[in-house]
Amino acid sequence: MAEIAEPKLKQRPIVRLGIFLISHSLFVSIVCFTAGVLALLLLPVLAKNTYISENALMPGSANNMLSSHDTSVANKLVKDLTDLKLRSRGSEFDSQKLIAQYMFDLGAEVTHHKFYPQSNQFHPLHFFTSPDSGNIGKNISCSSLGINTVGIIRAPRGDGKEAIVLVTPYNSMKVGVEEAFSLGIAYSVFSLLTRATWLAKDIIWLVADSQYGEYSAVAAWLTEYQAPTFSRAHIVNSETCRESNIVYKHGQKPNAEEKLYDGFRRAGTMAAALVIKVAKQSDYFEDTVNIYAEASNGQMPNLDLINIVNYLAVHKQGLQIKVSKMWSLLNYRWLYTLGVVFESLGQIARSLNPQWKFGIPATEYVEGTATLASSLYYQGLGVPTGPHGAFRDYQVDAITLEISSKVPLTKMARRNEFLIRGGKLIEGVVRSVNNLLEKFHQSFFLYLLTSPSKFVSVGVYMISFALLVAPLPIVAAYLHVEASDFGSIQPKEKSASQASSASKMNVNFDSWKWLKSARKVFAFHLWGGVVSVLPYFISQMPNLTAKTSFIVWILLSVFSLLVSYMISGPSFSEAAASQSQKKEWASLKSVTISAAFIGLSLTSVINFATAEIGALLIVPICLMARPLKLDIKASNLISLMRITSNLVLGFIGFPPATYFLLKGVFEGYSGINVGDFWEWLESLWAWNSATYLYIGLVHLPCWALCIHILFHHC
Amino acid sequence: MRFMIFSFLKLPTRVLMLLLLCLGNIGNSVAHLSSSSESTLHTNNWAVLVCTSRFWFNYRHMANTLSLYRTVKRLGIPDERIILMLADDMACNARNKYPAQVFNNENHKLNLYGDNVEVDYRGYEVTVENFLRVLTGRHEAAVPRSKRLLSDEGSHILLYMTGHGGDEFLKFQDSEELQSHDLADAVKQMKEKRRFKELLIMVDTCQASTLFSQLHSPGVLAIGSSMKGENSYSHHLDPDVGVSVVDRFTYYTLAFFEKLNMYDNASLSSFFNSFNPNLLMSTAYYRMDLYQRRLEEVPVTNFFGSVMETLHTDSAYKSHRSIDIGEAKIKKRTDQSISGSDRRILRNMNNKDQVSNLSTEENSQDSFGQLWNSVLSKVTTTENVDEFVCHGLLLMLSLLVASTWLSH
Repeated sequence: MAEIAEPKLKQRPIVRLGIFLISHSLFVSIVCFTAGVLALLLLPVLAKNTYISENALMPGSANNMLSSHDTSVANKLVKDLTDLKLRSRGSEFDSQKLIAQYMFDLGAEVTHHKFYPQSNQFHPLHFFTSPDSGNIGKNISCSSLGINTVGIIRAPRGDGKEAIVLVTPYNSMKVGVEEAFSLGIAYSVFSLLTRATWLAKDIIWLVADSQYGEYSAVAAWLTEYQAPTFSRAHIVNSETCRESNIVYKHGQKPNAEEKLYDGFRRAGTMAAALVIKVAKQSDYFEDTVNIYAEASNGQMPNLDLINIVNYLAVHKQGLQIKVSKMWSLLNYRWLYTLGVVFESLGQIARSLNPQWKFGIPATEYVEGTATLASSLYYQGLGVPTGPHGAFRDYQVDAITLEISSKVPLTKMARRNEFLIRGGKLIEGVVRSVNNLLEKFHQSFFLYLLTSPSKFVSVGVYMISFALLVAPLPIVAAYLHVEASDFGSIQPKEKSASQASSASKMNVNFDSWKWLKSARKVFAFHLWGGVVSVLPYFISQMPNLTAKTSFIVWILLSVFSLLVSYMISGPSFSEAAASQSQKKEWASLKSVTISAAFIGLSLTSVINFATAEIGALLIVPICLMARPLKLDIKASNLISLMRITSNLVLGFIGFPPATYFLLKGVFEGYSGINVGDFWEWLESLWAWNSATYLYIGLVHLPCWALCIHILFHHC
Repeated sequence: MRFMIFSFLKLPTRVLMLLLLCLGNIGNSVAHLSSSSESTLHTNNWAVLVCTSRFWFNYRHMANTLSLYRTVKRLGIPDERIILMLADDMACNARNKYPAQVFNNENHKLNLYGDNVEVDYRGYEVTVENFLRVLTGRHEAAVPRSKRLLSDEGSHILLYMTGHGGDEFLKFQDSEELQSHDLADAVKQMKEKRRFKELLIMVDTCQASTLFSQLHSPGVLAIGSSMKGENSYSHHLDPDVGVSVVDRFTYYTLAFFEKLNMYDNASLSSFFNSFNPNLLMSTAYYRMDLYQRRLEEVPVTNFFGSVMETLHTDSAYKSHRSIDIGEAKIKKRTDQSISGSDRRILRNMNNKDQVSNLSTEENSQDSFGQLWNSVLSKVTTTENVDEFVCHGLLLMLSLLVASTWLSH
């Protein structure tokens, strides 16, 4: 018998490894979690230099052709636009007419695109769908009509199947010098491109009417371009809005009046889009370019697009490139110390083997971390950082370039130089993208930036997330085993065959016990769903400030939680057997952790950065949660520490608390308002961010379950 | 020599013996031919110029090929003997700032895509399959003659290839690759089918030398732009067109040939030694072990032009009969060594040229002057002039003795 039993015990290595991990779950989870956090902190060190992956791009291989002629006409446009503003008479469409006339004079095809701005509303079912084009509110007045001006240059020998888009947001109601200059830069490039013989892609210049927001104007044009709805055309052109139709007076330019096409003009598939903005004077001593790349749900344009802009700006035009940073992180002492530690580690590694290029200077590390944090935050937020986000919805790679001058733009002498520099940068990017044969596909789509020329690719940053969530299934399995094993210890001692059959029954019963916990977890997640839909109804109520809405929301949430408690009430009181009562929390925690694991894993597919930040917040409390009663009973040093850490983690894990804490840390506690959180969430749902879903459906229920476990009555 | 003098004296009776002697010579040459085509005369030149890469950013590969096309044409290979394969059309690319023009230098002095460019295989026709078909001559019946490599045993072929390569392969069209085995196999087939006398393979790619590693056929000379593990670099960028316009190896090849015209006598070794590794940024590699001739003695125009040795014959039109006789005898001989009618015919055709000068003595039947001529030619070709003078003196002496004896 013994000989037969022996090989039975010997299991396959993978099973043994699993059992080993599960039995040492505490150790494993501590190691994994620490390693995960450490890996996250190491990312700036592991960042690689960017390189242009696509051979076809060849940025900077061609000489710039932008001449002073182009900039002088652009300068004239800028002057005309600012003069128009000073005169401030005539209709609001004067500037559009002016721009259209300028485009027309260059020989481009010009059209006006009229659109109704879409107010961003919360629609619970609209997540992951492209911005809705169909329904427009009934109460549209002609005054709220936006007009985009679109100029198209056809490539002289191109096949007309592809296009490059230049976008300049422009508010005709209040023209600033900066906006006029962004138009000037685009115009200078446009003027050059009308003469270029090397165009293989059509050029579309969209002057987006930004009086109702930059994003919505671009989005409306894109919707019309990509997915036209035919029912809408007649609404816009209806008789009621006659005054808004741009009618050229007879005296002006007869050519333009005749040739201006009334319909919607298209070019080919968009290869790339550049949003050009001019910001106010920069704080640096150089002309700088700020790059904004994050689109909705943390989608990024292909890294090659950022690379060519970076390459051309730095190496050809001598502009400084910036990506957004968490400025407050720069002042943290501990971060700098960590940087020093990494630096010295790198030096040690290099002394051991000169081949190991590990470690960066501490200051660079701090800067990298600040950039990485901002990159992670904006991707995690899921809200596009500019009008370029609208392009990403149609799989077009787009970025916003915000160019700022080192001296005020009002100085005449600087104007031409600034226009030439900006224009040459755009020209270079256009020429490079023009060389492209297919869509951008060669370089990364999933990356985090640690500086304009350094990135962390998906293969590297996945590690930290994997390490963070790895303990979850192990601990869940461990708890499950512990919860179900309890009853079968005693029968094991007796080796009688009858007892074993009884224990089998027991095991059978115990092995299904988790379903009860699962029901509870499910109820909590259902509640999470209800909570995430509530804002929709709250927003329907008129005359609510952010603060009151927030309070109403919280009250309703608590109320619904109580209701769900009442409904599932019997199950709580039912637990009669004291032994199983004691282990009930373990089973509940096991299922909670599993749910958190599944939720985080799913989120990581949709928006990695959200999952990463969420894992940092929710994983510790999930792992640590343990009924306070048990710890109070034990009342030694370890349990005391556990109580405090549980309470602290529980507090941090509560989404509004997290929000206010982070806001306070990064922006100072002075300006904090209770309504801020509501507004923040409102922006999330307005942009259909998956982060909102994550908070409502994964984070909040898991947090509530952990709190439930903390206050478990055992 | 004595034999000849004898025949000089007894002309009609010794004709048969003389004939036998000459046939013996021819027989020797035929036996030599069957071992290699070395002694076959170089009669024509072909060039196969291949650009294997597509896309605008590979502009330089097309420019390379077109530059070489221009060079070999200038040096005398006619268009119908050049197979030009271009995988893409840069001249008509929308990105080309100069429509319908291709330049290999930023000075834009020379448009390579002028009027008389005959592209035989263009665009997607440039495939590994078509390339191998061109080399081996296994075409479908519908393929026109202008697209075929109609070379023969006396052909010198220049095979130039440029594109993107790697260890033992050359990429075609971004989707296929030609491996060194494929190339070696094709060359072997060509050798077996007697499609060339000598073949110069010139490759300008990264790790070009690896492409030659499998070659085994005699008469093949190979030169590559780079060793294994090295890259071939472009020479310069044309900031006006916005692309690199020529590769280094090809650039310096062209620089070498620009100084030459078809009457120059620069040797292959001077060409091979003209590559400076510092300028190439890679090491040019030559494979010479399969090649019999000394590179110092081979003019570059043997491959890059259409210059071959000329053989002077006095009677261009009077050698028919002798050839007939020669052929009849040759057939007997070759039947022993090789069977296979096509090979024999090929050889015989090539023999005609040689036979015509070797067997001039046979024409002695026609006239005495011819015979005397032949004797003279034999004499001039003989190294042993002293011997002849001695014999002449002896003859004179005997004539003197005879005349004195007669006068008595």
